[in-house]
Amino acid sequence: MNNIIEIKNLTKNYFNKRALDNLNLDIESGKVVGILGPNGSGKTTLIKILTGLLRQTKGEITVDGHEVGIYTKSIVSYLPDRNFLYNWMKIEDAFQLYKDFYADFDEKKFEALLDFMKLDKSMKIESLSKGMHEKLNLSLVLSRNAKLYVLDEPIAGVDPVARDQILDAIINNYNENSSMIITTHLVRDMENLFDDVIFLKDGEVVLQGSAEALREEKGKQIDDIYKEIFGE
Amino acid sequence: MGKLIKYEIKGTYRYILGVLALVLILTTGIYAYISNTNEGSAFGATFIGLSVLVIFGTALSTFLYIVGSFRKELYDDRGYLTFTLPLTGNQIVGAKLIVSLMWFAILGIVIAVYNIIMALSFSPVELNISELFSMIKNMGIPYKEFIIVAITGIISGVTTLILIYLSMALSRVTFRNKKIGGFWFIIFLVLSALITYSQVKIAQFLPYYIDISTFKVGSGYMLSNNFYISTNENGIIMSGDFGNMLFNIPSFIYSILMGVLTFLGTGYLIENKIDL
Repeated sequence: MNNIIEIKNLTKNYFNKRALDNLNLDIESGKVVGILGPNGSGKTTLIKILTGLLRQTKGEITVDGHEVGIYTKSIVSYLPDRNFLYNWMKIEDAFQLYKDFYADFDEKKFEALLDFMKLDKSMKIESLSKGMHEKLNLSLVLSRNAKLYVLDEPIAGVDPVARDQILDAIINNYNENSSMIITTHLVRDMENLFDDVIFLKDGEVVLQGSAEALREEKGKQIDDIYKEIFGE
Repeated sequence: MGKLIKYEIKGTYRYILGVLALVLILTTGIYAYISNTNEGSAFGATFIGLSVLVIFGTALSTFLYIVGSFRKELYDDRGYLTFTLPLTGNQIVGAKLIVSLMWFAILGIVIAVYNIIMALSFSPVELNISELFSMIKNMGIPYKEFIIVAITGIISGVTTLILIYLSMALSRVTFRNKKIGGFWFIIFLVLSALITYSQVKIAQFLPYYIDISTFKVGSGYMLSNNFYISTNENGIIMSGDFGNMLFNIPSFIYSILMGVLTFLGTGYLIENKIDL
């Protein structure tokens, strides 16, 4: 099976702080991969490099065989960990924007997701609550038939009901031919989604493998392995 | 790029229309007041003074609003959307630039035309527009000079705006995570000074001018004995002793080239250097 992402010796420094330290990582196509680690472990830095918002200090990264650029931006559907939509917009405008810029955007899927999330196109972005924002952003991101989905902390800071809705949306709308990367520190809620997991600590991979194999090998849930690694 | 322009306009038109409405209402008030009073009063003076202040304030904040929309992409969360769209840096800068220029042009033209209409309709003397035009015609306005000044003015505006964008991008690249208010302005002043200085030097070393009225090309002293030099962002214009306008060709070409380089530099920075 070919790799959707290949990372070689990736390093990112911020002034005197090293956020990623000589990272080597391949991610297979068609997998749902969890990148797990506490705040400050380098998850968001890795994702921002992957989506073209940050530049690496050293090393190489390719997505679908291409360096990060216009092509990779057109095949990656990215959910940032913040409200990235323009404030003046209504949901309708955000929908039009996705339709205009991404050829892989599926209108019908979006309508169905909005319905599922109980959102309406006439709502103003500014007036949405944190949970509604997260639901809208996820609806937009999942409505693309992208080769790679990158979800940065999709359930952080939302209430348990919204959390379940978001997880259901991810499971139901995930497309078998695509790959998905999800970062989180809320492992227990999400571990059933993952085919593979990568534990990131201080910018380095400390453990990686198939979620199933790790559970068998360690005789524990991924959540307990997480606590073992980061709980010192 | 066209698509991004569409969303830029959608995001800013309400503010611009609001500004236009405010300025036009105040302008009408000023004209109406002036034409209806014979002697000054404290109230009238206060009203006019305040209106003029509000118009100036609005002009300044509108300028900052339009120019600042580029800065918002670099510092606010909206950059997460703009910079992950499948667009090149040049397309993003281009869209921002075109929309800004469009707003400046619309605001300028509408306010100017409205002032002319107001002046005509409140004027104590009955003026007929066709008479006015024939009057202007008979005055013998130097069209060529007028057109050249207008063109250089527009190019100068465009290059200044791009230089502002470059300064903002440079300021973002230099201090990655710190938002230092107004630092871009210092960079802008330094860059402007450097560009203007090099323009003057170029004009001195390559004194080839075109005389706008005769389209004769030569060195400044060949065309005229006495001239007055004025410099702007965009080149060097000289007036000769017969009222002829001379125009330095090398420095004009240089300023256009600098504009193009500034544009490409800004596009490169936002595509390859900026860390959000």
